[in-house]
Amino acid sequence: MGNADMETSPVIAVRDTWMSFPGKTADQSVHVLERVNCEVQPGEFVCLVGPSGCGKSTLLNIVGGFLNETRGEVRVEGEPVSGPDPGRIFVFQENGVFPWLTVEQNIGFGLLGRPAAERAERVAHYLQMVSLTGFEKSYPRELSGGMRQRVEIARALAADARVLYMDEPFGALDFLTRLKMRADLIRIWQAEKKTILFVTHDIEEAVQLADRVLVMTKRPATIAEEVRIDLPRPRDLDSPGYLEARDHIFSIMGMDARGGGATD
Amino acid sequence: MKFGPTLLVFSSCWLALISVLHGGLNLRWFDAAKPGMGGAKTFGVGFLPVTCHLTCPVTHFINKEMEGQDMFQPMRFNGWPELKEMFIGRPKDMPATFILAPMAIALREQGVRIKIVYLGHRDGSAVMVHKDSGIFQTSDLRGKTIAVPGRYANQRLIIYRELKKVGMTLEDIKLVEMPPPDMPAALLSKSVDAITSGEPFMGQTELDGYGRVLWQAKDVWPGFISCVLAVHEDAIRDHRVEIQKLVNGIAASGKWVDQSMDHRMDAAQFVSKNYYNQNPRLLSFVLSKPPDRVTYTRLSPLLADFEEIERLAKEAGILQGTAHFHDYVDDSFTPEASAQSAPEFEVKK
Amino acid sequence: MSVRPQPVLSRQSRFSIAQISLPVIVGCIFVAAWHLAVKASGSDIFPTPWQVCLGLGDLARQGLLLKYIVASLFRVSWGFGLAVLVGVPLGLVLGWFKLAFTALNPFIQILRPISPIAWIPVAILWFGVKDTAPIFLIFLASVFPITVSAMAAVQNMQQVYLRAAQNFGLSGLPLFRRVILPAALPQIITGIRIALGVAWLVVVAAEMIAVNSGLGYLIIDARNAGKRYDLVVAGMVMIGLIGLVLDLLVRRLEKFDEVRWGYGQR
Repeated sequence: MGNADMETSPVIAVRDTWMSFPGKTADQSVHVLERVNCEVQPGEFVCLVGPSGCGKSTLLNIVGGFLNETRGEVRVEGEPVSGPDPGRIFVFQENGVFPWLTVEQNIGFGLLGRPAAERAERVAHYLQMVSLTGFEKSYPRELSGGMRQRVEIARALAADARVLYMDEPFGALDFLTRLKMRADLIRIWQAEKKTILFVTHDIEEAVQLADRVLVMTKRPATIAEEVRIDLPRPRDLDSPGYLEARDHIFSIMGMDARGGGATD
Repeated sequence: MKFGPTLLVFSSCWLALISVLHGGLNLRWFDAAKPGMGGAKTFGVGFLPVTCHLTCPVTHFINKEMEGQDMFQPMRFNGWPELKEMFIGRPKDMPATFILAPMAIALREQGVRIKIVYLGHRDGSAVMVHKDSGIFQTSDLRGKTIAVPGRYANQRLIIYRELKKVGMTLEDIKLVEMPPPDMPAALLSKSVDAITSGEPFMGQTELDGYGRVLWQAKDVWPGFISCVLAVHEDAIRDHRVEIQKLVNGIAASGKWVDQSMDHRMDAAQFVSKNYYNQNPRLLSFVLSKPPDRVTYTRLSPLLADFEEIERLAKEAGILQGTAHFHDYVDDSFTPEASAQSAPEFEVKK
Repeated sequence: MSVRPQPVLSRQSRFSIAQISLPVIVGCIFVAAWHLAVKASGSDIFPTPWQVCLGLGDLARQGLLLKYIVASLFRVSWGFGLAVLVGVPLGLVLGWFKLAFTALNPFIQILRPISPIAWIPVAILWFGVKDTAPIFLIFLASVFPITVSAMAAVQNMQQVYLRAAQNFGLSGLPLFRRVILPAALPQIITGIRIALGVAWLVVVAAEMIAVNSGLGYLIIDARNAGKRYDLVVAGMVMIGLIGLVLDLLVRRLEKFDEVRWGYGQR
């Protein structure tokens, strides 16, 4: 599934990007990102991993247009990022499904400019894709955490987003649900051919999902290493390739943790 | 059910329903005959449900009964501040009012363009003590707490005047201000030692058996004035005829009330029922025991009366003393008013 | 998400028996204590509960009770309704636009603690002694709690809803209507509930102005009427009971699906 040999222009290109947040005084400002460089190719599934608090989410928010980088250049689909864009939908860690709307109203949220028939059709299609048929009229509070995450993914897909930014979307779910959600996400990604940039602190999750894993260092973070996962899907979690890739990433991060003491 | 539409429908229905009910029950939107509508503009005359203002409702009642309607609309208030604010704030709606004489003079001193045109009553005040108390003469009040209706109440003056007679000053007692309706309960609970205001609140303590008269105004200050009829100068200028008619009506109804005990008892009934919303027994009591407890004749504003009020009020520190009789009194209505006789009116039984 | 109707239902029904019987028991104890306290004091100024009931009966027979309740509800409905119409949009704008907040918030915080009683002279000056004056006072008393709660609701709104909405390209009025208002609504309704309590609370003060109807007027009028404290207490009782009904009604708003998410799961 990798796009290693493709010479097309990247969907996401981050060049020499720095980010610091102002502190109480000028010399107390917090450096979060330092000289970050990375690219994501069309249709690629890339995971960003790193110690918690290192700045993965910050980088995703910069790419998503919710934060402005301090220095450097971030281009998405060839344009410098100037703000959030309906073609590139963010899936939030804390679940951005609107609790005052029903499941179908949520999924149809990005389609309000479309004719009613088309909207209904797309909503029904993506409801089915995330296995929520029958819950159209339910409110998010009546759903489990995993179902709510699926509503949010369906909402992004229904709006015809070309790129999905996912910020630890399964972080709040229990273990079994998380496994199922990963399998569902891969199935949907394979069907829809979206470009996905996925942030997680769970190395196993990254190795199960990604074409490529970008490993970040502790703060001020940069990309320590890029690990290509050339394993066939569905992935066998006991295969030597999987374990090797996982242990390799652990070792990159482990060294980091030992070298710098507490990271968070 | 959707939140927005449900709320919208429910609240508009509710507002419509409550408005129609209020219009029907309280504003008489749907009454066939609308008094005062279509005819001449009516003038509001402010009053409180106290005997000092009795001639206001009596005049209105007699005019209504005899002529079908009255161009003056009595406006009932429940306290002095609101009455005063309406009077000075919206003279177009309420150009005339019954008001405490020192308050009227003070307003004039402060530059409000009003004139006292007539008196509302004479006498009709008392100082009451609890029947179990050891207060039997003025000198017993030393160190005691006395409730008065307000800064500009004449009752303050009458106390000052009596204390002076026995060589005491206001320093020797403790005055507290209290709305008259609250005074009976305050006396009953003995939270004050004595109370003084206009009737019927003094009579009420007597009627209920715990109040004792220390002295009546009529006995210590004959001809005592507490409330007067005050009118805006603009109204006097623009509506002289109507004001004269109002003053005539008050003079005439005052004479009618004082004509016989029957009239007093009739007035107690119809005023209690239609204007004051009090127990008629109370008004009957204060209008009869004794019969001269409060009187409604000799209502012309006289120089000597007001000079005494002015002098006492200045000594007691209530007034500045910058306004004098001819600044705040317009007695041009009195000759015609004094010539009025009691109307030939009997209450239909 | 399993559905368990059986235990849920039985727990609710047991709950509702207690919900009715417990307050009734407390109410009976209160009334008995009131009666005994009046008897023990030997005073005939303060009425017993039974005298209050007789007083209420008197008022009902004369048709005054209904008239007064209608008059008070009329004033509170309009004063409060206008407060909602002004307070909610104002609060949303102040919560959203930092500049408007900076400019107006100190002013609102200064006006907020001023009791409606202090506004009586202004009300008389502007509106005379017609119904508009008490409506104005009730409006003043309730508009600030509503504004402040709407303002706080927007300021405390979860960032994620805003980001999601912006991600879908929403801005301006659609953003307000489709995301900011619904996200703030649960907290606004809580503010509205508090404000309705305040509006009903000030009805006595508002009717001190020379209106000639209303439950507040009943209390003030009864004080003028000599020893009619039974009517004073009757007015208090009616205000309390209607206040309870109003609160129950506003609580119904919290049950709507669009806002129920904001009140936690019970």
